[in-house]
Amino acid sequence: MPHFLSNKRLLMLLVGVILLVALISYTLSDRKKVSFPEQIIKDTVGLGQSFVAKPAGYVTGLINNVDELINTYEENKRLKSRLEEFGTLQAQVYELDSENKDLQKLLDKKSDLRSYDPIQADVIARNPDQWEEKLILNVGSKAGVKVNMAVLTTEGLVGKVIQATPYTSEVELLSTNNTNYRVSATISSKGKQARGLIEGYDAKRGELMLKRIDSKLKVKKGDKVTTSGLGGIFPKGVLIGEVTKVTTDDFGLTKLAYIKPAASFQMLDHVVIAKRQAVQVDGSDGDSTNKDLSNQGDDK
Amino acid sequence: MARLLIPAVAIALFFLETEFSLFSPIEFSGENYYLVPRFLILYLIFLSIYYDRKKAMWYGLAFGVLNDIVYIDIIGLYTFLYPFICFIAGSTVKYIHQHLVVTTTLSLLLVALLEILLHQFFFLIGYTDIGFAEFLNQRLVPTMIANSIYLIMLGWTFKYLLEARVLEKANQSIL
Repeated sequence: MPHFLSNKRLLMLLVGVILLVALISYTLSDRKKVSFPEQIIKDTVGLGQSFVAKPAGYVTGLINNVDELINTYEENKRLKSRLEEFGTLQAQVYELDSENKDLQKLLDKKSDLRSYDPIQADVIARNPDQWEEKLILNVGSKAGVKVNMAVLTTEGLVGKVIQATPYTSEVELLSTNNTNYRVSATISSKGKQARGLIEGYDAKRGELMLKRIDSKLKVKKGDKVTTSGLGGIFPKGVLIGEVTKVTTDDFGLTKLAYIKPAASFQMLDHVVIAKRQAVQVDGSDGDSTNKDLSNQGDDK
Repeated sequence: MARLLIPAVAIALFFLETEFSLFSPIEFSGENYYLVPRFLILYLIFLSIYYDRKKAMWYGLAFGVLNDIVYIDIIGLYTFLYPFICFIAGSTVKYIHQHLVVTTTLSLLLVALLEILLHQFFFLIGYTDIGFAEFLNQRLVPTMIANSIYLIMLGWTFKYLLEARVLEKANQSIL
């Protein structure tokens, strides 16, 4: 048998494998900070991508337009039927809105979990192997983007920022399989509210799972689900989706609801990052440190 | 000329991959189908077969690291897999006939191998919980169809480019 590998080569191979395994296991752990060389590489590649993304964005826009055009007839029918309700609803909303403002003024309440400053962003790339549901955006910490901020489209919530370098940021979509990915949500049916956490995505149904809902509370099919703003960084009242099915969870103690997401996760080309105006608390939301961070705001 | 074109094409394909993945997943009768563009590794496999295995492996290493840092955040995954695939591709040169049809089939098989290895890895670390059958239906088959279309369209260009480079090199050594 000929010598397939000389001793020197074998040694190099072994050292290489050990290094590789060490690198993988080091980088697998949840890292919040991006190291400096990584930042530079990400920003440089991001710059290149933003040039390439322009024509690609044009094509996705075109496809979306054609898609909309095909559905126009049905959509028009459905919208017409809704139009009649819309007028009364609008009047009601105006009334409630002005009433709400007056009452807030009366109470001298200034900060509101609902209000946020939108940061406009273009999607410049999607993780090509698509095992993790990630997007790369063309704005970064220089524009005020921080980790854990909510990312929305006009239709509703799509994900949150998981990493920010000076000129790019990475978004993990709601359809991820990551178990540490949680979003605090509110289900509102007539006058009543139930709280829960969005944890996990059912790939087969294509729906999100809302867990830990108090079993005493009634949740119905068709109820709207919005963000609660209690996670610390997300604004309140961003639409997530609609309840399609309610069951009890594995242990039978709390309820589990399946939610059809309002936003589509396909062909995303333009998103908005929500920078909340109220005080931001970087709590344990999505950051699996399990540290008690509830009192930190007072100390600082 | 061809000398500069080889890395230029690799860089272009690296960027194109991410842009094409914006069109995926495709929803078809209620099911999501994932098309994973594998432009770069297919090109590197060709590079390995028609030009130089060692160079292909270096390219694989460089772009593997880039891919890991920018998209995956697990450094070491593509860093290992890209050169590994190039190594296998280059090692087959002695045993196969270098006809375009043969190399195209071989490249596609290697990409399927890459996909399967990646699925196994992500399954192992718990990033995904889809089983093999589902993976086959939702990802592997659509991915292979999309990539074979790409390779059938562009494979001969790669071959032409790489052979031009080999010729160029041969001429230089004569002079």
